[in-house]
Amino acid sequence: MPDSDAPNSHQFFDQFLADYLVESEEHLTALRQELLALEHFVGKPQIDEALLDELFRRCHTLKGISGMVGLAEAEQVAHRMESYLRVLRQGQLPLSEHGLESLIASVRLLEQIIEARRSNAALPDITSVIAELSRLSQNTDSDHGVAPTAKPPMQRATGQGVRLWRFEFMPSRELVERGINVNTARARLQEIGEIRRSVPLVKAQGQIAFGFVVASSADESVFAGWRDDGLEYAAVDAGSEVTPSDEALLEQQPAAGLPRATSNVVRVDLTRLDDLMSLVGDLVMSRARLENRIKQLRTVLDAPEWRPLQETSSLMERQLRDLRHAVMRVRMVQIGEIFERMRFVIRDLARENRKKVALDVSGQNTEIDKFVVERMMDPLLHLVRNAVSHGLESSEERLRSGKSAEGLIRLRARTAGERVIIEIEDDGRGIDVEKVEQRARERGLIAPGTHIDDDTLLDIITAPTFSTQDKANRESGRGVGLDVVKNSVEELKASISLWTERGRGTRFSIHLPLTLAIADVLLALVEGQTFAVPQAAVQEIIEVEPQAVSVLENNEVISYRGGVLPLVRLAKVFRLAANGGGRSFHVFVIGSGPNAAGLVVDRVIGQREVVVRAASDPLLQVPGISGATEIGDGRVVLILNVEKLLLPAAEYEQRLSG
Amino acid sequence: MDDSPTMRRMVAACLRELASVSFEEAGSGLEAIERLALDPANLIILDLNMPDMHGLEVLGFLRKHQALRSTPVIILTTRGDETSRAAAMSAGASVYLTKPFEPQELFEQARKLLSTLEGSPGA
Repeated sequence: MPDSDAPNSHQFFDQFLADYLVESEEHLTALRQELLALEHFVGKPQIDEALLDELFRRCHTLKGISGMVGLAEAEQVAHRMESYLRVLRQGQLPLSEHGLESLIASVRLLEQIIEARRSNAALPDITSVIAELSRLSQNTDSDHGVAPTAKPPMQRATGQGVRLWRFEFMPSRELVERGINVNTARARLQEIGEIRRSVPLVKAQGQIAFGFVVASSADESVFAGWRDDGLEYAAVDAGSEVTPSDEALLEQQPAAGLPRATSNVVRVDLTRLDDLMSLVGDLVMSRARLENRIKQLRTVLDAPEWRPLQETSSLMERQLRDLRHAVMRVRMVQIGEIFERMRFVIRDLARENRKKVALDVSGQNTEIDKFVVERMMDPLLHLVRNAVSHGLESSEERLRSGKSAEGLIRLRARTAGERVIIEIEDDGRGIDVEKVEQRARERGLIAPGTHIDDDTLLDIITAPTFSTQDKANRESGRGVGLDVVKNSVEELKASISLWTERGRGTRFSIHLPLTLAIADVLLALVEGQTFAVPQAAVQEIIEVEPQAVSVLENNEVISYRGGVLPLVRLAKVFRLAANGGGRSFHVFVIGSGPNAAGLVVDRVIGQREVVVRAASDPLLQVPGISGATEIGDGRVVLILNVEKLLLPAAEYEQRLSG
Repeated sequence: MDDSPTMRRMVAACLRELASVSFEEAGSGLEAIERLALDPANLIILDLNMPDMHGLEVLGFLRKHQALRSTPVIILTTRGDETSRAAAMSAGASVYLTKPFEPQELFEQARKLLSTLEGSPGA
């Protein structure tokens, strides 16, 4: 930096704000998990040292980087947490319930501070948390102590079948070129057991090596081959003579685990991935144009000249598809991180409401688009809060109704085709349908005589005019603000469904798209207009002769797989002049079972991979249309939201069967 | 070397304008020592808190090693107390800076240490 630019350090480091936000988020996520683990040590005389070290180091790092971006509030809170953790680490005080609560409150405050910085909002007040933390860490002069305290060497009992091994890794350029370095060596050792010591060593000719003491029950054959990768080893026998390097090993403190394989992970700003995705989108579009041109050439070129062109184009299509999947994969994150946050919230709420709650989580490894995850965070939190606060009964009430005292919250995620399904379920009292119905009638939300099923119920409780009425909702087992949940879900082109049973519980299922940008669609013609239907929604395409259609109560139906399939004519929905009568037509079968319905088009003209442009203009927001896309010849085509379109038909079908 | 990637980027940004500079980053003590063993550096910027080894242990190791003994080390840490500073200086640190640091100061200190090196034979 040139001497002339007298730097304002905050301004200078402001350029790293995005880095800061990403990294601090990682630390906060880890802190939350680690605090949950710390809970097991409340009131115990000793706390797991590795855990405390990890917590301590995170607070320390957060303090450092917060200071650099001039976020003094976060710096101070992290500093106080660090001081308290140091007191705990030195074993001067046991961890009290209150101490843990304060740490949790501090993490929450840090989260708020950082969020405020992100959105340029006013920073929250930190005085009470700071005061509490300083009170907790009083009576100790803890700000000194530079070097880590020496720990007694290897006193932990060696379990059955566990042997101690001494490994030595000698790094070299050649190994680095093969991708083998001290980090990967350490990761390997971590896999076969517990690393008790790790220390750098100086060998005879001044070469540097790394020594590890590993407690492992693995058979020697597992790591015998590692000798080729620079990892020498020998068994450490209890009675054997101690060599100088062994002594060096023994002097050291235990290794505090792996630094989360920092070397193989690249962090990328989401906007860069968006750019990449939009480039892929442009490519998809260009290829579609090319394909169109090639089709036109068919009439002027001889087959031997034309076919290679066509083949290359098809090959390109496959490659583009692979590219798209690869880019998509980069954007995917595991949903487990969100579930971990829920764990934190549930624990807090349970305490607040004096309820006993067990959490059952499955499908943490389900991957979902980062963008989608971020936007689903609030709605999911909302549903979980509702489930704990309103869905679950008190222990006494549960016991009275013959349930276990402990309520159960289930968080599940799974992939189904192009969608991810997230479920939040409680085994609580269920929604009081009668109460909801009564209230809805009072507010004129439903027509008299409407049959209330789970879908109607969902519509009612997520209606803005309904869900702001908090008292009645609380009594009926739901909290407030479900309209917010519904809005977020709709913004993401996701759908939500409800199951509830009196006395047995409630489940919300959210069906999310894997990714938002590119979709496979089927193109269909209706009265000369082209529409796109997401392929994921289509079960089957059938061709129907006009005479196969019969009319039931003003609705057209056909017989389909031994049942009746109600039809919805797109021409009618969009009020296009219908003049096609007399010819056979195509029907998209959407949904399955009693909810299946048929979407009538004139003709299906092909399958395409398209780039979805969301219809975000409020003037263009028509239920039944989810966006638009450009197809190869430059025409813009509307993408249909079939679930919305078919609602009337599905309702009709239910009336038939009910 | 610092376990925070954000901090490493900040440090690199401060030193960007040093003549013909290239950076090697490390996120843990062992990793840092491996880098230095394979590719000696002219200047080391070292954090005290790292996941596997304390910064002072890293420094102590470097100072005992013949080839790395004279490489200047800037300690960059949030520990502002005199005890820590004294411990680091006696362990062989060349400069002790506390975080948050001024970019200009880090730049100046690095430049000074590197120019001393250039003046001495064999650097």
